[in-house]
Amino acid sequence: MNRHYDCINYLNLDCEKGLCALDKGIVMIDGEGSQACPRFKPAKKCGNCKNFSNPDKYGIGTCSGYEKENWAYATCGAFSCKNYKG
Amino acid sequence: MKSNAKKVEDILKARGVEINEDIIEYKIPEAHESFQKLIAIYYGMKVTADMEAPYWFNRIWWENDGDLNQMKRAKAVAGSYAHITPTILPWEKLVMSKTTHMRGAFPFPWVCGSFFNAQAQAFMDEVDAPPLSEADAVSQVGTGGGNVTKSYGEIISIAQKFGVRKEDIPVLVKVSKYWEGIAIEDISKKYGKYLKNYDQYQREMDAVVIMFDSWAIPQGREVMNYYVPLQYGFDKIQELCDEKMQTLMGEAGEDGVLGMSRGYYYACMKEVAKGLSQWAQNYADKARDLASREPDEAFKKNYMEIAKMMDNVAHKAPASFREALQMTYLCHLGVVNEDPQSGQSIGRLGQVLQPFYEKDIADGVCTDEDVIELLELYRIKITAIECFASSGVTGGVLSGNTFNNLGIGGRGHDGLSAATPLEYLIIEAAMRAHTPQPTLSVLYDEKLPDAFLMKAAMCIKLGMGFPAFMNARVSEEFMLRQYGEEGMTVTDARAWMLGGCLENSPGSWSPLEYNGKVTWIPGGAGPTAGTGIHFTGLPKVLELVLTNGVDARTDKMVFPPHNEKIDSFEKLLELWKRYLDISNDIANKVNNIQMDIWRKLTPPTVNSLLKKGCWEKGQTIADCGALYNGTINFESCGTITFINSLAAIKKLVFEEKKYTLEEMKDAMLNNFGFKTAYETGVFSPDFREATEDAPKYAKIFADCINAPKYGNANPEADSLLKWYEDYMAEILPKLRSYYGRPEYMCQISVSTHGPQGFVTLATADGRLAGTTYSDGSVSAAAGTDRNGVYAVFESATVYDHSMEQNSQMNLKIHPSAVKGQTGTRKLLNLIQAYMRKGGFHVQFNIVGSDTLREAQKNIDAHRDLMVRVAGFTQYWCEIGKAIQDEVIYRTEYDEV
Repeated sequence: MNRHYDCINYLNLDCEKGLCALDKGIVMIDGEGSQACPRFKPAKKCGNCKNFSNPDKYGIGTCSGYEKENWAYATCGAFSCKNYKG
Repeated sequence: MKSNAKKVEDILKARGVEINEDIIEYKIPEAHESFQKLIAIYYGMKVTADMEAPYWFNRIWWENDGDLNQMKRAKAVAGSYAHITPTILPWEKLVMSKTTHMRGAFPFPWVCGSFFNAQAQAFMDEVDAPPLSEADAVSQVGTGGGNVTKSYGEIISIAQKFGVRKEDIPVLVKVSKYWEGIAIEDISKKYGKYLKNYDQYQREMDAVVIMFDSWAIPQGREVMNYYVPLQYGFDKIQELCDEKMQTLMGEAGEDGVLGMSRGYYYACMKEVAKGLSQWAQNYADKARDLASREPDEAFKKNYMEIAKMMDNVAHKAPASFREALQMTYLCHLGVVNEDPQSGQSIGRLGQVLQPFYEKDIADGVCTDEDVIELLELYRIKITAIECFASSGVTGGVLSGNTFNNLGIGGRGHDGLSAATPLEYLIIEAAMRAHTPQPTLSVLYDEKLPDAFLMKAAMCIKLGMGFPAFMNARVSEEFMLRQYGEEGMTVTDARAWMLGGCLENSPGSWSPLEYNGKVTWIPGGAGPTAGTGIHFTGLPKVLELVLTNGVDARTDKMVFPPHNEKIDSFEKLLELWKRYLDISNDIANKVNNIQMDIWRKLTPPTVNSLLKKGCWEKGQTIADCGALYNGTINFESCGTITFINSLAAIKKLVFEEKKYTLEEMKDAMLNNFGFKTAYETGVFSPDFREATEDAPKYAKIFADCINAPKYGNANPEADSLLKWYEDYMAEILPKLRSYYGRPEYMCQISVSTHGPQGFVTLATADGRLAGTTYSDGSVSAAAGTDRNGVYAVFESATVYDHSMEQNSQMNLKIHPSAVKGQTGTRKLLNLIQAYMRKGGFHVQFNIVGSDTLREAQKNIDAHRDLMVRVAGFTQYWCEIGKAIQDEVIYRTEYDEV
């Protein structure tokens, strides 16, 4: 199931909810009402990057997008990452 | 701005209509729609911590391991900012937040990692959490509003305030692990233990005689300085850094200690400028990204305007009021994100930005209404600044507030009134857009225009607790006393501002070239004033004298037993001084070590770009780069509870000899025969529930209640306040800070009178165990000022307020007492009466106790109710119960 939380149109508000940039309505991250609509497009997050690999059960994996390879986590926002590869 | 009320009055008078002046009030226009949309969202926001910034800080720090500490720090801070995911809401015109969340913050494991490491497993399964520290255990965070006080669903509560998503917890645990045993907290403890009486410090902390470690909030309680980025912009700053490096790298000049560091300083500042620039650029890119998918033309246009603004802010010196305001906000966030912080004052923003406002208005670029809208939105932005710290600091000290203070008025570079037309709009925006921050402070001087002061007084009447009034002349005198030895001139003394709630902080003037002329703008010129000895509970020290050093609440020894017979009042004072000396000596040394370790390991970088002196000298704040460095202080708590207790003991035990000291002590230990606040859960001194022992103590209790009290122009009590203030002014400069400068007294209670009252037995003034101390430093203890407000003023000014950094006077007035324009004038006259007597500070809650009681019962119906606690305003629903009780019980004046 795709969630609003993982959509490119999701705007962060707090730990439980956000705002849909298209509809301007509050959308929840978890539970009822958290399922994305058909306009869903994946947001830039480390977990969606081609430089990210081998996540463990907590989503912690490896980032090879920079000169020095390092660990990273899948849910980290990557809009501001200059080396993001979608 | 001319008030609408005056216009109406003129029209009616011209038509021969007689009106009752008292009923005319300025009809305040509603806040702009953009504000209303965003504040509605704000009210529903949970305070949220996430791991983006800590992750990137940690990664970049360790990837640069081996480099100079200041360069690692600069790169890690700058790189973390450059990676924060930008969020722009559709109605915003000013953008940026501390994190990707509106009320966002994040942990700093490199400052304090032990809490996260100790709780690593507990965080993972939320069981077997280690006990909270004593200060944390007795501090209360408000349960309403945006506080996440309990975990639920996918959210973990940290510090009883921050909600963290479960997927961030493994990242928090992993990042914290890097800093296990090497965080500032750990290293400073390691060196603190070289002190032979380090255990004394720990005993005092456990007894909450003193409140918290300096590393908990190593920056803040100071004033921002926006001159360098406003003058140059980030691209030019980087060019200037290159030029400086070419000149200074490898050159020691005449300074064999710090001379070589200048080259490194500019190398670091170039990194900082790059990071801040990229952070701004990300918002420009995000705005374009949103515009590309936005179906609504109006929103699309707004996003494109934001993109253009942020493109400019990212690279150039601001060319409009809006860009300048955005630039100052970016820099403000850049500083408050460096460390856990509170009290990072905005400074005299209406004077700093006046040249930009003036040009835009003259050029027809914008109107006053456009500017007011931006200032309304700015209020939400500042209100949303959170501080990630322990619950003891967040709740017990800060009441969840971060004290971003904005000063208005005062004197200018030329010694004349500094009030600007833009400052009228700043007040106007605060009157329309009700938020607790930024709190406004009038730097009062007789030269300020009457219309300006009346507008400020009108704002006070709205019940938000601000503007507070601070006495500019008193403060300027203090500045010259404290910073004269560092070369402060009379002109620079006028550039002062509050750092945080009430902490006078040194400033200086810079020549801003804009619009074809030079304007001298004020800005901060000193480091933090909040990292000395934190909140010594004066009544608790007195209690420990009576109990021979043992905390009767816990049966633990706090001070070495004095084993002396207290057979005179003078002996009592001597022993109190002895214990205070013991406390000051160790607390000062430990805090000096903590702050020295902080500045050596993680020297401030963004703040070192901005602070006056650093850029010019090529030195960070850590290396005394700021122009004035004698800013470190001793903070007190419970002044008037202490004074009233002394007055009662002096009168009843040593003068009238109605009771022995043992009888007094017995009454205090037995809480005068009443239940304690721990038992009743009510922290107001006006709530008393008798036990079967009550009759035994009825007489002594009545005598203690009726003993001389401060605040009634009664020399028996007031002379003790004068003795105390003179004594502290004499001894504290003998303490030296880690900057090698003399210390001084800071008399703000913030919210510490709640937890420190909580751990204190009944006191000889009749206050019951566990209830709050008196608030402020010269407010009368609640319900004890019986001769009217002018008698309180008389008592408060028995000593010279310019000897200390500040004093604090909170007054509560029923709204009916200041109704209409006549009421506004009366309120201003009252303030002026106090200022003319030499009082440093006064602030007001214009609210009825009945309203507060109702709000306490029905908290959800009062989401937007605000009160003045100490030097700050906070939402009622986000304040802990002890402080709520205390505010309710404050003396309420029905007339002024």
